[in-house]
Amino acid sequence: MDPMRRSIRAELLKLTTTRMPWAFLLVLLVMGGLNAATVAFGTDMDGSKAFLSTAADQQSLIAFAVNATMIAGLFGAIAAAREYAHLTVIPTFLTDPQRRRAVVAQLVAIALGGAVLGAAGAAITTLAVAAALPTTEYAFLVSALDIARVVGASAFAGAAGAVLGAGIGIVVRNVGGAVTGAVLVLIVAPPMLVQMINSTASWIPASLALDLSGVEAEVAAPAAAAALLLWALVPALLGAIAVRHRDVA
Amino acid sequence: MTGLPLVVDHVTKRYGDRTVVDDLSFTVAPGRVTGFLGPNGSGKSTTMKMLLGLAAADGGSTRVGDRSYVELDDPSATVGAALETNAFHPGRSGRDHLRILARATGVPERRVAESLATAGLADAADRRAGTYSLGMRQRLGLAAALLCDPPVLVLDEPGNGLDPQGVRELRDLLRERAAVGGTVFVSSHLLGEVELLVDDVVVIDRGRLVTSGPLAELRHETALVRSPDAPRLAEALREAGASVEPAGPDLGGSALFVRGSSLEVIGHLAFGLGVEVSELSARAGSLEDLFMGWTRHGNESVPIAEERVVV
Repeated sequence: MDPMRRSIRAELLKLTTTRMPWAFLLVLLVMGGLNAATVAFGTDMDGSKAFLSTAADQQSLIAFAVNATMIAGLFGAIAAAREYAHLTVIPTFLTDPQRRRAVVAQLVAIALGGAVLGAAGAAITTLAVAAALPTTEYAFLVSALDIARVVGASAFAGAAGAVLGAGIGIVVRNVGGAVTGAVLVLIVAPPMLVQMINSTASWIPASLALDLSGVEAEVAAPAAAAALLLWALVPALLGAIAVRHRDVA
Repeated sequence: MTGLPLVVDHVTKRYGDRTVVDDLSFTVAPGRVTGFLGPNGSGKSTTMKMLLGLAAADGGSTRVGDRSYVELDDPSATVGAALETNAFHPGRSGRDHLRILARATGVPERRVAESLATAGLADAADRRAGTYSLGMRQRLGLAAALLCDPPVLVLDEPGNGLDPQGVRELRDLLRERAAVGGTVFVSSHLLGEVELLVDDVVVIDRGRLVTSGPLAELRHETALVRSPDAPRLAEALREAGASVEPAGPDLGGSALFVRGSSLEVIGHLAFGLGVEVSELSARAGSLEDLFMGWTRHGNESVPIAEERVVV
């Protein structure tokens, strides 16, 4: 087996041998529960449940890609930064002193983790909404094809968000700082950017994630995917550059 | 097992204005256990990190055999290293820590159990590393270093926190590795233990080489001279290029430690000066005595080559 595949397999094992994935799964379950509660108890201003009346409304409710970007962004930031916080980067770089390869392997594994989180989030949300709909007068109307698009978009957004967060984590190397950085880049900065330059509204991660989910159509899906990828790759590239000649510990 | 020499060749490392390793050169030979000694902050850990590609040298080079660590075809199978006692995720079990390394290096997973057993950690392997004592963390680091059964071991303070039985086991293990041709390079502050373990020593202070070589030879490199006219003799010896320092209150004010000069030369010089000598002998002190002599001035110490002692 070539060194890159070995490193990716090792990085995947890192992600699954601590409690972190369970903590994020718990977050997804809570969010699914909140969605179910919204369906069961939420109403429009007029007291009706018209927000559930069409397939498009329901697809909007189950579209998890925006949340996937943010949750996976935090996941990636923590997963990457803790390598430095716990000094596990030392055995990593001793095992594979070709740092660029080691970082790429880490990013690939974290991207896969983010994709799984995104897909799981979309699946849990869809199941929760479907389970709660019988308490209303509406049936579940979203087609299988649209569910697949929602899940696929969430997986992609999760992968992109995780890589973005990981890039920040690698640069910052401190878990608290990396989480703060991910929140700034994914949640705080985009609206400020839109306020300053109105035309960027369609190109911030949240808008792109909605386009990918088929909830909005301001940007074509391939362009939205490419733009979201660019958001992810810029910090990842900065991380890869930063780590190349940096002394460890 | 065929070990490789570790070569540190005129290496310099600076952090800002501070030079932590200064034109340091030495070679660690295979088939021997080499102790890496020096006061706190003398640059031992930084040197080991440069040797293993974790820190970049500002000058000079380090090699494992004829290549840098980064250039090795299979670095993990060549060098096993344990540098930090806390390089584990506290929420991950010791076994999982090693499984990750096994995957990354491509060694069969059965080596995980074998390494844990060799390091004496089999019983605690499934506990989270965050619950480990310092000694258990040392054992986990050692298990990681042994995972690929490498011919070269680089260990930074591996005896810290080990119980007496653990220290004994570590010593036996490292001696066995050297006996079959492996290269063993160990930094330590436990001088009593080092004395029982090592064949060679490399001593640094303030990032500069103080001395290196077989411990048995270095032990006899120092002469004890006792003379009622010690200041005059000391000055003459210094002018002749020897390093001279007072032997300390335990041996009396008229006693000197002299390095860099043979007993014959010292005797001849004293005779020429007409200085009475009441004792002239090879000083075979403990490693602790030697170490204190090599780094006598603590934070103010300077390498022997530049010492100027006024008696």
